[in-house]
Amino acid sequence: MPKNKRSTSLAILAASAVLGAMALTGCAGGHTANVGKTSDGILRIPREDTATFTSNFNPFSPTALPMTDQAVFEPLLIVNPMTGKAVPWLGKSWTVDSNGKGVTFTLRSDVKWSDGQPMTAADVVSTFTLAKKIQGGYSYLSKVSAVNPSTVRFDFNKAYSPGLYEIGAQVIVPEHVWSKVSDPAKFTNANPVGTGPYTKVSHFQTQSYELDKNPNYWQPQKQQINGIEMLAFAGNSGANLAFENGDVDWSDQFIPSIQKSYVSKDPAHRKFWYPATGGTIQWQLNTTKAPFNDVNVRKALSMAVDRNQVATLGESGYTHPADCTGLTDGYASWKDASIVNSCDWTKLNVAEANKMLDAAGYPRGANGIRSLKSGKPFAFSISVGSASSDWISVAQVIAKNMQAIGVQLTVSSPDWSQVVDSYSKGTFDTGIVWTNAATTPYEFYRGEMSQDSVVPVGTPANEDYHRFGDAQATALLNQMAATSDPATQKTIVNELQARFKATAPAIPLFPSPVWGAYSEQNFTGWPTAADPYATLSARSSTTTLVLTSLKPVK
Amino acid sequence: MRFLLRRLGFYLIAFWACITLNFFLPRLMPGDPVSRMFAQVQTQMRPDQIAALRQLFGLTDKPVWQQYLDYIGNIFRGNMGISLSRFPTPVSSVISSEIGWTLLLGATSLVIAVVLGNLLGIMAAWRRGRFLDSVFPPLLVFVGSFPYFWLAMAALYLFGIVLGWFPLNHAFTDGVEASWSFSYVADVANHLVLPALTIVLVSIGGWMLGMRNTMIATTAEDYITMARAKGLRSGRIMFHYAARNAMLPSITSFGMSLGFVVGGALLTETVFAYPGIGYQLLNSVQALDYPLTQGIFLTITTAVLAANFLVDIIYVRLDPRVRVS
Amino acid sequence: MSISQSQRQTVTQGDDATPPSAKRSILARVTGGGLVHGLLTNKKALFGLTILFLFVLLAVLAPLLSPGNPSNFTADVSAAPSSDHWLGTTAKGQDVLALTLWGSRSSLSVGFTVGLIATFIGCLVGIASAYFGKVTDELLSLLTNIFLLIPGLPLLVVLAAFLPPGPATVVIVLVITGWAGSARVLRSQALSIRGKDFVAAAIVTGEKTWRIMFLEIMPNMASIVMSTLLGCVIYGIGAQAGLEFLGLGDTSSVSWGTNLYWANNDGAMMTGDWWVLIPSGLAIALIAFALAMINYAVDEVTNPRLRAEKKD
Repeated sequence: MPKNKRSTSLAILAASAVLGAMALTGCAGGHTANVGKTSDGILRIPREDTATFTSNFNPFSPTALPMTDQAVFEPLLIVNPMTGKAVPWLGKSWTVDSNGKGVTFTLRSDVKWSDGQPMTAADVVSTFTLAKKIQGGYSYLSKVSAVNPSTVRFDFNKAYSPGLYEIGAQVIVPEHVWSKVSDPAKFTNANPVGTGPYTKVSHFQTQSYELDKNPNYWQPQKQQINGIEMLAFAGNSGANLAFENGDVDWSDQFIPSIQKSYVSKDPAHRKFWYPATGGTIQWQLNTTKAPFNDVNVRKALSMAVDRNQVATLGESGYTHPADCTGLTDGYASWKDASIVNSCDWTKLNVAEANKMLDAAGYPRGANGIRSLKSGKPFAFSISVGSASSDWISVAQVIAKNMQAIGVQLTVSSPDWSQVVDSYSKGTFDTGIVWTNAATTPYEFYRGEMSQDSVVPVGTPANEDYHRFGDAQATALLNQMAATSDPATQKTIVNELQARFKATAPAIPLFPSPVWGAYSEQNFTGWPTAADPYATLSARSSTTTLVLTSLKPVK
Repeated sequence: MRFLLRRLGFYLIAFWACITLNFFLPRLMPGDPVSRMFAQVQTQMRPDQIAALRQLFGLTDKPVWQQYLDYIGNIFRGNMGISLSRFPTPVSSVISSEIGWTLLLGATSLVIAVVLGNLLGIMAAWRRGRFLDSVFPPLLVFVGSFPYFWLAMAALYLFGIVLGWFPLNHAFTDGVEASWSFSYVADVANHLVLPALTIVLVSIGGWMLGMRNTMIATTAEDYITMARAKGLRSGRIMFHYAARNAMLPSITSFGMSLGFVVGGALLTETVFAYPGIGYQLLNSVQALDYPLTQGIFLTITTAVLAANFLVDIIYVRLDPRVRVS
Repeated sequence: MSISQSQRQTVTQGDDATPPSAKRSILARVTGGGLVHGLLTNKKALFGLTILFLFVLLAVLAPLLSPGNPSNFTADVSAAPSSDHWLGTTAKGQDVLALTLWGSRSSLSVGFTVGLIATFIGCLVGIASAYFGKVTDELLSLLTNIFLLIPGLPLLVVLAAFLPPGPATVVIVLVITGWAGSARVLRSQALSIRGKDFVAAAIVTGEKTWRIMFLEIMPNMASIVMSTLLGCVIYGIGAQAGLEFLGLGDTSSVSWGTNLYWANNDGAMMTGDWWVLIPSGLAIALIAFALAMINYAVDEVTNPRLRAEKKD
């Protein structure tokens, strides 16, 4: 068939042209792909919660870009959750009034903005004015004033000693820039002026951007890395892939089987450290609904949860079971050992749980399912957001555990917005939820059992979704806010722990690990269990400590 | 002309319907972006802070009909609102920073799939029962049976991770400045290979089969027999007589596919973290960013409508029968 | 998705290009039960039907073949295929074979439910449109074309993300996005049959409208309805998997899509646990391929010109 020959060869030609183009670009790309891996002193960090970046270095904006609060702007003090100690930063020192009704900060005198102007008390005062106006909050703050250029006074309208840490964590912005901005809430601050170590934005692209050295940084000896590059990913798997492939240096999102997928590929350089100092993850029961208003039911359900299984299967064994104080490892120095040692309802004990439910009047039916006092079966749903795959596993384990005590629990995993909406309005049955994490256990216990944080069903709540309030605990919390004496606070926290143990407001499951892994290929000086100067989180206030401690490998 | 005006009228109605659907979809469903934001940052806020956030985002309690009128008015002023997850960046600038990559990925893979697929279809039909006709269609249909994302993952695993031939993510090497230099263009092309390859692999079978079947129908026409009788060269008959006429259905499919590619690249973009609007759509849906979701949706819909109108115009030029009727 | 779409289109276009005389012979074949006979003697159809039958069998027998809840976690994590676990285990210690077997139940039932409902709506709209003509046709065609133009996957994503997750939602969402394609194809086929003498005769003899629509017109387009159905099932299975892979389905259920979602989430690609990724993807491909083969065979049986025969 000679007449068809031409057309055949034509097609082959076309096909080989396409394949050739692919092969050609393949070679060219193989060359460029290696550039990213060479040590150029740039610290590369993936970000898993955004598909692309849009310029916004406004620290008051809820959608500010990563590193705005860590590398561009700095706070007065940085609390290290590993030790519970506050590291002086822009604030050299501070004093809290003994009655808890005010704080005075003394500022460092050598701090300059990245445009060369000195930082003064006026900047701090204007920052708080802006923050209150744009973000709200600081309701306890009645007045912020500059005593002199290096001293700022904060007056409270009530005794509120925990305010020190909230004020101390606020990043400070320059008055000489922000006073000229007509609408600070919508200001995107594309070329930010800050006191942080890396303030100069370069190579801003939708998929990545770079922050370079601040030429006027107040600790130039700590600017060892040349710059920070952030990479955008919409989802853990993409970010993890880049990390595991060695394209980035530091990653703080959850990585499944990290030993196998990451560390084992280069054990000499690749490390991870997951301290359990994040918030407590708990199973909250809606105490406005029967039978969850019965403390014995709450305790019995808690005793049927196999926390070891929850930790190993749900959280890949990166954490450990919580105890009946509800406190995480971050509050190790606050924990009352005698209470921790006498915990009963956070230990697996199916027989006792069954006994307690029998005694409380929830008999088991012929089908093995208990019935409620209303006669309906003891069947509820456990809510968890569809995006949190690890917590869905946790809920599945709990649901399975509940079968042993004749309680039927179905996992419901819609979108987080729906879950949070049901939490907030109090319409949920039970659910997996995070808890407040702060410098002292005050915020945690306020969110667990303060009567002041309880709102009626239907009214949106922002903490204490389970709607539990205890009079004694409320009084203790108020006492704690009114004192700045560490010894007194310790005593009060011990009593709060006892109250938590007695009332079981919610079912603590495990302290949430702070994810973090890194490669020493390009940088050293990472925080470790042996040197816990910060966590490995790349989005908390301690991140600044890491950025100013890392050294490039020569 | 009457035909085109009629079509234009249809597209305008379709456009209005899409805007309306687009407007009501997110509003009919539960959920609230502000609560969603808490879930993501895992902190809890006080009521005044939430009120401030709502104020900031303009999530006020206006009646729905008023929001609808505002929405339509804004669309015609080219204002698609402000992105919630990118506050205070306007939706239009978020989309415009990303749509280029989707168009590049979509156009590249579509053109390759169409050209290659149609060529293979023509050849298969011309040489019925031969190698090309008996092996390729089932093979391509089989490859095309795999889900987009699965092929994407397989390609990523094999060529990206195991062999390391191609980059794993993004549209070009991070930090490289865009320019018209050879190295940049090569870099972009290199990042494009795997995502485009998956789309081509999945869609080429459809094009090939479609073309093959119409070609077979066409080759039975009298004018082909006539051409053969005249003793014209086979290649000439194949391309100038049969394929030309068999192309018509392909053109209609092309208009449809353009829309499918813009939207359908979503899965591929997700696997390769390719910074296009498909990737962004998923991200904005997860963040309950209504304005951005609507904006992307509207952009995709408009692109599809425009593409189809374009195809209609071309169709009228190519097929005189349409003009007469 | 694009495949079934373009296939559906080619089906009509192929027929439009067929001269009227050929059409009559198709009708004769189809109405005379030639379709079933044709399919049973067609290699492609037999191949497709065999695979389909095997999958349905496995899905039905899943509780017998692998008793117990397939999503149960065990301590035996990330194990490679062995005699204990034929297809290995996931990062959470679930047996991959069990997940794949049980997954077929959800994937097949959702796929076929979506296919049937979408085709039914397509038939209803398409035939009504062709039969009544005029304003009804204008309006229904407008509606069809609008739904056809709205890009499917983005609409799927938006719909699925906001509705409460669950198989019912997935079905509803897939039907909403899938019916229009079949309606368009069926309308144009019904239109050509509407013009036939026997329909005119039926109208003249005063037969009831619904009888004409479903007993006169519909049986005469059985092959198109059949291939539309197959296309819709392929679409249903594939789109369900896509949705679930994006995490927009019910992530706590077991289906091929969620299996792949979890595989990706648990980093199977980086740990090199290929055995977690392959079975569900291959299952989707096999079932879609089988359906496509049957579809292909339907075309061949009803359109003699498409049958593989040597030319010249």
